[in-house]
Amino acid sequence: MGLFVLLGFFALCVIIGVPVAFALGISAMAAFWFEGLPLMIGVQRIISGINVFSLMAIPFFIFAGELMFHGGIAARLVRFASAAVGAVRGGLGIVNVFSSMLFGGISGSAVADISALGSILIPVMKEKGYDADYAVNVTVTSSIAGIIIPPSHNMIIFAIAAGGGISISKLFLAGVLPGLLMCSCLAIAAYLVAVKRGYSAEVFPGWTALGLSFIGAIPGLFTAVIIVGGVLSGIFTVTESGAFGAIYAFIVTLLVYRTLTWENFRTAVLQSVRTTAMVMILIACAGAFAYMLTFYRVPDKTATLLTTLTDNPILILLMINIVLLILGMIMDMAALILICTPIFLPVAISLGIDPLQFGMILMVNLGLGLCTPPVGSCLFVGCAVGKLPMETAVRTIWPFYLAILAALIMITFVPAVSLTLPGLLG
Amino acid sequence: NAADWRGWNIHADGYPNTTAMDKFAELLEEKTGGEISLQMFHGGTLGSQPDAIEQVRLGGLEIGNFNLGPIGPIAAEANVVSLPFIFKDVPHMFRVLEGEGGQVIAEGMAAKGLVPLAWYDAGARSFYNGAKPINTPEDVTGMKVRVMNNDLYSGMIAELGGNPSPMAFAEVYQALKTGVVDGAENNWPSYESTGHFEVAGFYSLSQHLIIPECICINADVYNGLSDEMKAAVTEAAVESADLQRELWAAREATSRKMVEEGGVVVNEIADKGPFQAAMTPVYETYLAGNPDLRPLVDLIQVTE
Amino acid sequence: MTDRPIPSGDTSLLSRMEVVLDGLAALCRLITGVALVVLTVIFGWLVFGRYVLNATPTWVEQAALLLVMTIAFLGAAVGIHENTHLSVAAFRTIAPRWMRTLFVVVTDLLLAGFGLLLLWQGTKLTMFKWGSMIPLIQLPEGLRSLPLTVGGGLILIFTLGHLMRLMAGRDPRRDTIG
Ligand code: NA
Ligand code: NA
Repeated sequence: MGLFVLLGFFALCVIIGVPVAFALGISAMAAFWFEGLPLMIGVQRIISGINVFSLMAIPFFIFAGELMFHGGIAARLVRFASAAVGAVRGGLGIVNVFSSMLFGGISGSAVADISALGSILIPVMKEKGYDADYAVNVTVTSSIAGIIIPPSHNMIIFAIAAGGGISISKLFLAGVLPGLLMCSCLAIAAYLVAVKRGYSAEVFPGWTALGLSFIGAIPGLFTAVIIVGGVLSGIFTVTESGAFGAIYAFIVTLLVYRTLTWENFRTAVLQSVRTTAMVMILIACAGAFAYMLTFYRVPDKTATLLTTLTDNPILILLMINIVLLILGMIMDMAALILICTPIFLPVAISLGIDPLQFGMILMVNLGLGLCTPPVGSCLFVGCAVGKLPMETAVRTIWPFYLAILAALIMITFVPAVSLTLPGLLG
Repeated sequence: NAADWRGWNIHADGYPNTTAMDKFAELLEEKTGGEISLQMFHGGTLGSQPDAIEQVRLGGLEIGNFNLGPIGPIAAEANVVSLPFIFKDVPHMFRVLEGEGGQVIAEGMAAKGLVPLAWYDAGARSFYNGAKPINTPEDVTGMKVRVMNNDLYSGMIAELGGNPSPMAFAEVYQALKTGVVDGAENNWPSYESTGHFEVAGFYSLSQHLIIPECICINADVYNGLSDEMKAAVTEAAVESADLQRELWAAREATSRKMVEEGGVVVNEIADKGPFQAAMTPVYETYLAGNPDLRPLVDLIQVTE
Repeated sequence: MTDRPIPSGDTSLLSRMEVVLDGLAALCRLITGVALVVLTVIFGWLVFGRYVLNATPTWVEQAALLLVMTIAFLGAAVGIHENTHLSVAAFRTIAPRWMRTLFVVVTDLLLAGFGLLLLWQGTKLTMFKWGSMIPLIQLPEGLRSLPLTVGGGLILIFTLGHLMRLMAGRDPRRDTIG
């Protein structure tokens, strides 16, 4: 009955057009009230949803992205990128995928990836004649590479949720090939959709123009060096690297490119806080909603149901995938890792599946959930950055879902994809 | 059931505390003749530890398995166990808690809405880093050490000449690996299960912090029970604590064996005297700010 | 919405209210903007402290969390004023006009109720937590729930502003949103 209040209220709110963040908060509060729980705890859950240090990287990457965009770095980066691969159909789509592979691999956060790359690439793609929905879809789906390719905070959460016994370094190694596989599938999808839609390839501008655009882009490219190099060399944590990305972008646009006016700076700051607030309030309210789902034991009951249906390993694995996909659609990733790992990992191990491989299956599933309505933080951020209604984006996202699903099927049924590297180097 | 309680525990399945809390739920139902049932939520799924402490105080949850560290900012008496080197070893800690000292701490917590029913073992926390064994305070000098959020812990590192670096738990592995911090500190099971031993292979048995855990109950719920029920609830908690301490010892041994097989260099610290001496300013500052707690600190120090 | 038509010389209560609300939103934007810049600067200071001073400022982490809360909750309230939050507009679009109005009114009432709830319960939580201190910065724990409390109050105010404009037939959303 309480669960009905929670989900019913949520559906009602969404239908009449309450902003999704508030629909989550309102329905959670209704369920708190219905259960006679202190409403102060509902407020606590909303606060705690964002009282998380790792989330701090989000405003920084958004800010760095806005500064790079309004200060002219982004334009130069994209001038170079389109000189280099614009001659391929859907070139910018493919650039988008592979920049996520590099950037998301470093930031470990899908949302940060969208904030940073999305704010640069989506406007440029639109400018170059790509449809907004295509730009948003490529950005959103490729961002989940950041969760799979090491390092990844979510992998650490998984290792902790598994109660020890899983080596984090092996887990990181295990993510490399599945991440590359997923990016390749997405790049193919990006190319095929571009061909289908007839995005015109640009004329190759010649080697001199390519060289000049590269030189112009070097100070901007160095932003990536600051972030990547800073983290890999151990100078910064991921969060700090975000702050330095923003500081560096500020200095370059102000002193090197001299394109940052006070007006541009002000716009960048205000746009950043607007996007940050929208993302954060959603994560915050999702915290209260997830609490009530846990309260009603939704994940536990789902698992029980699963094991009573069949004892065929392939079917169970398939069903785990489906259940994770569905839960991923309605809940936040970190909470789900903590809830689902203790439930599904023993089931998986009893079927003879390596915990490392199971980790990859979990990450890809929940990552895909971040790109789906109704609760998908990546989709929300992508739509916010691309200024596109969610339903417009979702209408044409299916080829990219298919690409991720193809990768997921291979990761689920071919253990070698996950286990080869840890076996060789671990 | 006359009452359906809900309980919080941060640990995953298979962890000593998880097994012991499940046992507590079972004993509770048994000893109260089915009057009270307890639904456990493991794995911290209902929130972080400070949040869950608040939920128990507000009455959203009835039961929690808490470490006294995060209770310290709420109940000053409980913060005393976070003073570095206050306990000689784990048995000493239990002697204090089961005597007069434990009484004082329990009363302080009860005044803030949390009644401790029984004490769990969380072992001793020791330093680890990737560079060298720590034998003297000078070995810590200049080292960036990750600490939990508590002024006493950061004060401890500062007095040893190190650079205390508070950091979210999830960031520590990567930070150790890349050298953002040089070291951290934790007990055997956490050192092993977080994989930190893979990137910081020197574990020095400083045992500087011995912070117990407890089964806590919401004070209003507890005070609303009949004396008979109170006794049953406490008895269930104490029996589960006996089980937890047994399982904890086994788990510590397993974790130690695992990290040693993983190539970790473990060293005893022959003389902890210089470390303890260096803590004088930490104690002074703390007692200057909390003069009421001096008798409790004295009491703990004279407890054999 | 800043582009709503206000007849010149109109000094009605409603127009004055709109000026006040716009001013309030601008003030919130200023606060959140400054918070973002401060957030970035203190992380610069953190790294500077760690490497140059070899003394990591231990207050940065907790202070940063408070700043992000401020950005989140004040910014969310401004988002209500500016109608920038993401919502599923599909059902509004296909609904007949009278139903669309109903949807908008109910949405506003729910949001106002939610704002009021955050204000009320947030105040209680802030008072409950005021006595204990946030470690390492020694500020009251209650500060953690203060941004939400203030944000709740602002959500209430901005939503009431929407409702009043709606009743005066001057709400821009009925046709533009949905
Ligand atoms: Na991308
Ligand atoms: Na989702």
